[in-house]
This record gives sequence, structure tokens and C-alpha cells, in this order.
Amino acid sequence: MKLLIVEDEPVLRNALLEYLRHDGYVCEVADSYLQAHEKIKLYQYDCVLIDLTLPDGNGLDLVRTLKADGSRAGVLIISARAALDDKVLGLELGADDYLAKPFHLVELNARLKAIIRRRQFQGQHHLLFRDLSVFPEQALVLVRDEPLTLTRKEYDLLLFLLANPNRVLTKESIAEHLWGDDADTADSFDFIYTHLKNLRKKLQEKGVDNYIRTIYGTGYKLSTE
Amino acid sequence: MKLLSSTNRYYLLLAALVFAVGSVVFYYSMGWALRVEVDEQLVNHRTATLNLIRRTGQLPTNSLGNELAVTPGPLPTQLRDTTFFDPVEQEQVPYRQLSFAVSSSQGAQWVTLRKSLLETEDMLGVVLAVMLTVLSLLLLSLGVLNRWLAHRIWHPFQLTLEALRHYNLQHQQPLALAAATPIDEFTELNQALTQMSTRLAADYQSLKDFTENAAHEIQTPLAIMQVKLEQLLQTEELPLATSQLIGDLYGATMRLSRLHQALALLTKIENRQFPGAVPLALDKVVENKLHLLQDFVDNKELRVERVVAPGQPPLHMHPALAESMVGNLLQNAIKHNHRGGTLSWILTPDYLAISNTGPALVGEPSRFFERFRKLNATSDSPGLGLSIVQQICRYYGYTVSYSFAAADSLHTLRVQF
Repeated sequence: MKLLIVEDEPVLRNALLEYLRHDGYVCEVADSYLQAHEKIKLYQYDCVLIDLTLPDGNGLDLVRTLKADGSRAGVLIISARAALDDKVLGLELGADDYLAKPFHLVELNARLKAIIRRRQFQGQHHLLFRDLSVFPEQALVLVRDEPLTLTRKEYDLLLFLLANPNRVLTKESIAEHLWGDDADTADSFDFIYTHLKNLRKKLQEKGVDNYIRTIYGTGYKLSTE
Repeated sequence: MKLLSSTNRYYLLLAALVFAVGSVVFYYSMGWALRVEVDEQLVNHRTATLNLIRRTGQLPTNSLGNELAVTPGPLPTQLRDTTFFDPVEQEQVPYRQLSFAVSSSQGAQWVTLRKSLLETEDMLGVVLAVMLTVLSLLLLSLGVLNRWLAHRIWHPFQLTLEALRHYNLQHQQPLALAAATPIDEFTELNQALTQMSTRLAADYQSLKDFTENAAHEIQTPLAIMQVKLEQLLQTEELPLATSQLIGDLYGATMRLSRLHQALALLTKIENRQFPGAVPLALDKVVENKLHLLQDFVDNKELRVERVVAPGQPPLHMHPALAESMVGNLLQNAIKHNHRGGTLSWILTPDYLAISNTGPALVGEPSRFFERFRKLNATSDSPGLGLSIVQQICRYYGYTVSYSFAAADSLHTLRVQF
């Protein structure tokens, strides 16, 4: 899986690089519009992460170039949160998804996986994790071939966990994943706790245990062991 | 009080005082002059009478009423005041009299010459009346002239005032004042104001640039902090205490980042950076947002009541701003609701009202819209929700108001289009 990360801020770029490499992606980086433009003209990528504010150009032009070239690469736009128009414009230009800065790495990872899944397998793909198989297109979860009935939020939560196995998901990132900008409405952390409790219980009833571990004070983790 | 009435008041006061003093002085000096004149006449008369007696040896006869009297008794020989009863006027009439001794065939006799002061008094009255009439006419015409002049002369000032009243720093248009007026003082005033507004606009712009740059510059370090903390959290086998510390730091970073986003949004609205307004069905926006907030509604077991009057309000808004406005109002109504309460929303062509049940609030309702205003000081929320609502309303020329019905403890936020 080959990615191109277009980000001018070195610390952020390296953090993304490290995080995504750890997940098994082959990553290349570009720190300017020109460099990025050259790379997308020369090479094929499965997905391109584009920061819109670049010192020598607008990231949206990169999206235009990709689309004009008929590239098969997925496009994930990263931009300042207050720039609401960028989101609309970016998606109109054909970007697959949009992520506002600052973002959670786990969220970025989940979005990236969803894009790649949609692009590469046209929905024929399913996720496997230990005894779980998930068919995202049908929103179907099987535990050892037995269907597991989940609420919408439990399902979203499970998918988010599955996108980031063995990584700590902070309560904040889960809340934002589930409720977006409304995450700080009220008591969202209590909700996460409730939803997780129910999810664990349902998994336990199907005989799979200890999948989700609580990391005290910070969040939760989907354990591979 | 208007400048004109204020100066007029002093004018009148002074004029009345001058009139009063002047009238008194005038009256007495006039009276004194007339009396001197009468006295002179009496003395002349005495000389004439004495001459007549010397020439003819005859005492003058008392021909006309009280003008002349010849009496035997000795009388003081100075000029004196006296009064007589006038049968025509039916009153005591003042007289001036002069007595002198003459020797005649009947021995020493005293002749008394008198002159009525009534005529002079009448004259005094007429003179005074004419004076007063002229003076009051003068005053009146001065007043009218003043008023007219004020209207004319102060016209440029009124224009300046009007321009100031409509001046808004945020519109970033220079203060449009006449560079030259017929009155030097007003020209100077206009120049000074224009200079001031230019300076203000420059200061405002630099402050705005600073805020924007600061907001933009804060964003990157925040993103880095968040990403690095997240990486730190992924470290295998973190001691519990450390992981908790990082968790707290992470939470604080998130709060800072939310605060930053809200402030950046406010700044953008203030800078009018949302030009793309589209026709919008607000009931759909509310429905969608409520759907997204369903978890929170369910959790508080709120009953949602919906009233949509026929006829959509003809709104043109930026979709993101409409969503932000509705979202903040609904979040507010959920956050401050009590368990099992009611959340109702009413949409008519004129207004959107979102109400929630909840305990009565302390404090000035108009201050609820202030930035960083929190009901609960320990709350994680930055307290910018209603400020954002107010700013969006201002942007589109709507008004937002808060009201509380104590009977059913219902808080209502109403956006009037």
C-alpha cells in the first residue's frame, strides 16, 4: 500500500510518516507543492494525503491535477478546521474525505483505511480480526460465522477500533469519531463508556473476551492477543 | 437639552435681568427728569406770577381748578408733593406745588402754584410700554433668527453626526465627511474625525491581522502537540501514572484546540469571510442536527417537541454557519436541560425558537451571549457557543434573544429573522 504525504510542517510530516509506516504502509513525503506535483505526475499512489496550505501553492490544485490525470489514488484532504469552504470545495473536486487539523492519528488512520477499502475492493472486502469478520458494505459483523447484532454507535465504535488494532484510542478521539463537532455537547465520555460496556457484553455473550482493553486514564485499545 | 435651548435659556435669563434692571432705572430716571421739568416750570411760573403782580398789583385769580391757590396762612416755600382728589378720575392725583408769599392790598398772601403729575405718569407708562414692546419684539426676532441660523449653521454638524452614527469599524469603509464646510470649526472637527477614523481603521486592521496570524500560528504547534502526545500514548508498556499524565495532557490539548477552533470561527465571521450564502431550508438543518445529537437527547430522556408553521422563512445563509448556529442552540438546549425535560423548537417564517426546561439562571440575560460566559465555571466547554450564535445572527442581520418563563421554567432562545 503506497501513500504520499504532502505536508510542509516537518514535525507533523515525520509523525505521520512514522505512524503510517508502523502500520505497514509504504510512505513517501513531499514538503512543497512543486515536489508533490512532480511526484504525483511521476508515480502511482494508492492514497494521497494533502495538506491544503502549502508554502508555494494550494493543495486543492493538487487534487485538480490528480483528477485531471484520471488517477486512481484516493485523496484525503487535511486542512485548518475554520476553513469550512475548503471542505466543500475539496469534496466537490473529488477528494474522498476531509480531515480538519488538528486531528487524531487514529482518526486519520481509520479514514485512510476506509478510503483504501472503498477504492481497492469496491466493497467486496471484509475485515478480519481474530474471531471477528466485518463486512462494512452490509454493516454485518460475524463472530465465528454467527451474526452479532450491534447498535449503530456500537458498530461505528467497533469499526474504529478495528481500524487501529493494538493502538490506544483516547476517549477524546473516540468521542470525535462518533459525534464529530458535537462531541463536547454533554457527557460524551460517559456515553463511550456505556457503548463500550454494551459492546464488550455482546462480544462476551458470543464467547469472545478480552478484545477491548481499558487503558486507565486515557482510553481503550483493541488487543491482538 | 439641545445646545440651542441651552444658550437660549441663558439669553432669556440675561435679557430678563437686563430688562428688569433697565426698566427700573429707566422708570426712575424718566420720572426724575419729568419731575425736574415740572419743578422748572413751577419756578418759571412763579417768576411770571410775581412779575404779573408787580405790574398789575392784582393777585392772580384761581381760574382753573387746582392750578393756582391764594391763601392767607403762612406756608413753607419749598417745592412739595401733594395729592388732590380728581372727581373725573375718581382717585387721588399727585401734584407738585410751590408756594410763595406776595404782598397785596389784602396784606401778605401766599400763592400756591400746582402742576398735576398725572400726565407725566401717563407718559412714563406709554414710554415704558413702547420700550417693553420693542425690546420683546427684538428678543423674539433674535430668537427666531437664532433658530434659523442654528439650523443653517449646524447643518454640517448634523451631517457629521449622522455619518458618525452609521460608522462601523468592521465595515472597513472610511468615515465619509465633508472636507470643507462653511464653518471653520466644523471643518476642523471633520478633519480631526477623519484622521481619527483612519488611525482607528489602521489599528483595527493590524489588531485583526495579529489575531489572525496568531490563530494561524497556534494551529500548527497544537496539531504537533496532539500528534506527539498520541504517539507517546502508543508506546508499549507505559507505566500507569505516566499514561494518566499523558491522558490529562492530551485532554487539555484537545480543549485548547476546541477553544482555538471556536475563536478562529468567531474571527472569521467577524471578518465577514463567509460570502457564499445559499437558499436554505432551516427545518431540515434542525432535523439533521437533532438526528446527530440523538444520542445526547436519548441519554437525558428528553421529549422533543416540534412546531413548524407553514411557509419557510426565506433564508440565505452559508450552510456551515446555519449548521453552526442551529448546532450551538441545540447543544445549549441539551446541555442545560434536566433529565426527562423537554426540548422544543418552533420555526415560523419570522423566527426560530428553541426552548429547554431547566432551573432558573442567575445573572443578567444579556450577558449570556458574552464570550467565555459559562454557567458552570468548571465546565470543559469554552463557553463560546452563544457568542457564535450571536455573531452569526449579527452577520445576517438577525437578532437573538433569551427569555425565561418561570411558570414552566422554560428557557427560550429566539432568533428573529
